[in-house]
Amino acid sequence: MEKSSPVQKTVVLQPFVKLVRLVARAFYDDYTTKSDNQQKSAKSDNRGIAAVVLDALTRRQWVREEDLAKDLQLHAKQLRKIIRLFEEQKLIMRDHRKETAKGVKMYSAAVAATTDGRAEDKVKLHTHSYCCLDYAQISDVVRCKLHRMKKKLKDELEDKNTVQEYGCPNCQRKYNALDALRLISMEDDSFHCENCNSELVVECNKLTSEEVVDGDDNGRRRRREKLKDMLQRLEAQMKPLMDQLDRVKDLPIPEFGSFLAWEARAAMAARANGDLNPNDPLRSQGGYGSTPMPFLGETKVEVNLGDGNEDVKSKGGDSSLKVLPPWMIKQGMNLTEEQRGEMRQVAKVDGGSGGAAKLSDDKKSVIGNGDEKDLKDEYLKAYYAELLKQQELAARLNQQEYEIQLATTSPGRQVAKKAKREEEDVEWEEEAPVAANGNYKVDLNVEAEASGGEEDDIDWEEG
Amino acid sequence: MFFHIVLERNMQLHPRFFGRNLRENLVSKLMKDVEGTCSGRHGFVVAITGIESIGKGLIRDGTGFVTFPVKYQCVVFRPFKGEILEAVVTLVNKMGFFAEAGPVQIFVSKHLIPDDMEFQAGDMPNYTTSDGSVKIQKECEVRLKIIGTRVDATEIFCVGTIKDDFLGVINDPAAA
Repeated sequence: MEKSSPVQKTVVLQPFVKLVRLVARAFYDDYTTKSDNQQKSAKSDNRGIAAVVLDALTRRQWVREEDLAKDLQLHAKQLRKIIRLFEEQKLIMRDHRKETAKGVKMYSAAVAATTDGRAEDKVKLHTHSYCCLDYAQISDVVRCKLHRMKKKLKDELEDKNTVQEYGCPNCQRKYNALDALRLISMEDDSFHCENCNSELVVECNKLTSEEVVDGDDNGRRRRREKLKDMLQRLEAQMKPLMDQLDRVKDLPIPEFGSFLAWEARAAMAARANGDLNPNDPLRSQGGYGSTPMPFLGETKVEVNLGDGNEDVKSKGGDSSLKVLPPWMIKQGMNLTEEQRGEMRQVAKVDGGSGGAAKLSDDKKSVIGNGDEKDLKDEYLKAYYAELLKQQELAARLNQQEYEIQLATTSPGRQVAKKAKREEEDVEWEEEAPVAANGNYKVDLNVEAEASGGEEDDIDWEEG
Repeated sequence: MFFHIVLERNMQLHPRFFGRNLRENLVSKLMKDVEGTCSGRHGFVVAITGIESIGKGLIRDGTGFVTFPVKYQCVVFRPFKGEILEAVVTLVNKMGFFAEAGPVQIFVSKHLIPDDMEFQAGDMPNYTTSDGSVKIQKECEVRLKIIGTRVDATEIFCVGTIKDDFLGVINDPAAA
């Protein structure tokens, strides 16, 4: 059970695992599931349990919480409590699902795929929870945490002018000094809650506030010393964690996707039985996730989209995804880029090396056949005239499409596309007149090239 | 900070003001309407210094009112974070004290008053140093630094500090 899965080869998991382990030891080392009023005997002292759970999670991807509990020989309730803590701390993703027999089987299959074999078949109709470390979020959260810790200490050390906060002892409402004008009451000149009219108290979140009481120079100096010491210790103790964070910063983040996506992928990998490279979608995810900072939630959406596309691409092979005709594309439509016609650019890039040559060869062979079958010039002329007409039509359509696309595509993408398009157009316009000159003898190649450049349009027309 | 800027406003004028003095009426109404108001964007309008232009009036349907677009120059006052201001203390309580710099209200909370000043309750609540040499009470003038502003559409409120070099009481009329 405790094996790193085969799916995780392309993105390096190791630094992230190390990060999580460091985090576990730095922040959750003395977390216990016992509440404070319970007496702690040596036997029930379960400090460090959180670190154990986190470590166990680093060795897994998505895991059913029951299974995890069984593996760790923990009580499910206990584990759930810890898991919930981590969820609150945004370290893990969770997914709850009302499980049917089929769902369980799917999960089992996924487990079998990622851990080579051995998955218990349990068929129950329960709500199962699954959890998984969210590495991207962890690195962000930890960075934020460290930053906040340091900032708080530094602010206090430099006596930064912070806006005083007030809290209502009654209803726990928070105010700050900027609300002062509204809070002041006419009766006794002190601040009152807007809600329940009880007197507000100064929120003291200073770490060393107790010592302010003696207020004199000596006390202040002592306070400063203490703060400085604390800051230094923080720096020293968090050093390994910060180093690890820096190391991780530019690495591609291991992403398992949402639970369903992961399961589907794992199932797919199992089905392919190793023939189909299961790393492919993951690699692309690494690419998406490799942006060093904010790994926001949206990336997930992109990832899924990318997945789908790649599947289609790999399945479709040469007969690429059909481009929707421009009149079908509307503002709100949720299209892949291929469907919008971006695919052509990809095809064109290919065409630069192989595609164009191939296509021109095709063309030539067609033409050659024609030559062999029928050597009359009349036919050739007719053929070219037809071709020219066709091309003019295509050009016109292309122009239309271009305009429509300008209108429909999002402005950000538009610029790039426009540039590309313009290149294309220029290219075409340079070549078109040559063809139009009627220099039919020489233009076998030119024609082919032109159609190579124009490949997409012809594609579009034929398709 | 003070700014001299040009603002525009659509003035509605009642027909009874139409006549020889239309322009004077318009300007005096503008002054009455605008001076002393506060907008979150520009700050407090302190005074109108001149009229830039008065556009063509437009008679409103249904009423006899005429709308004139008026461009006017004015002095505005807008407090900024980090700005040093001189203000008059208006109220002292155990949470800190309130002060006014012209139209702006500023609150200085207790932890932004130097640590050696203690609150003294009583008839005239004040903050006093242990040796009694400095006293902050109502009506005295303080120099303070703004550390936070709250800008609403029609209101600006500031939080200040006197816990810095050269800040604090600059003139106490009660002591003099």
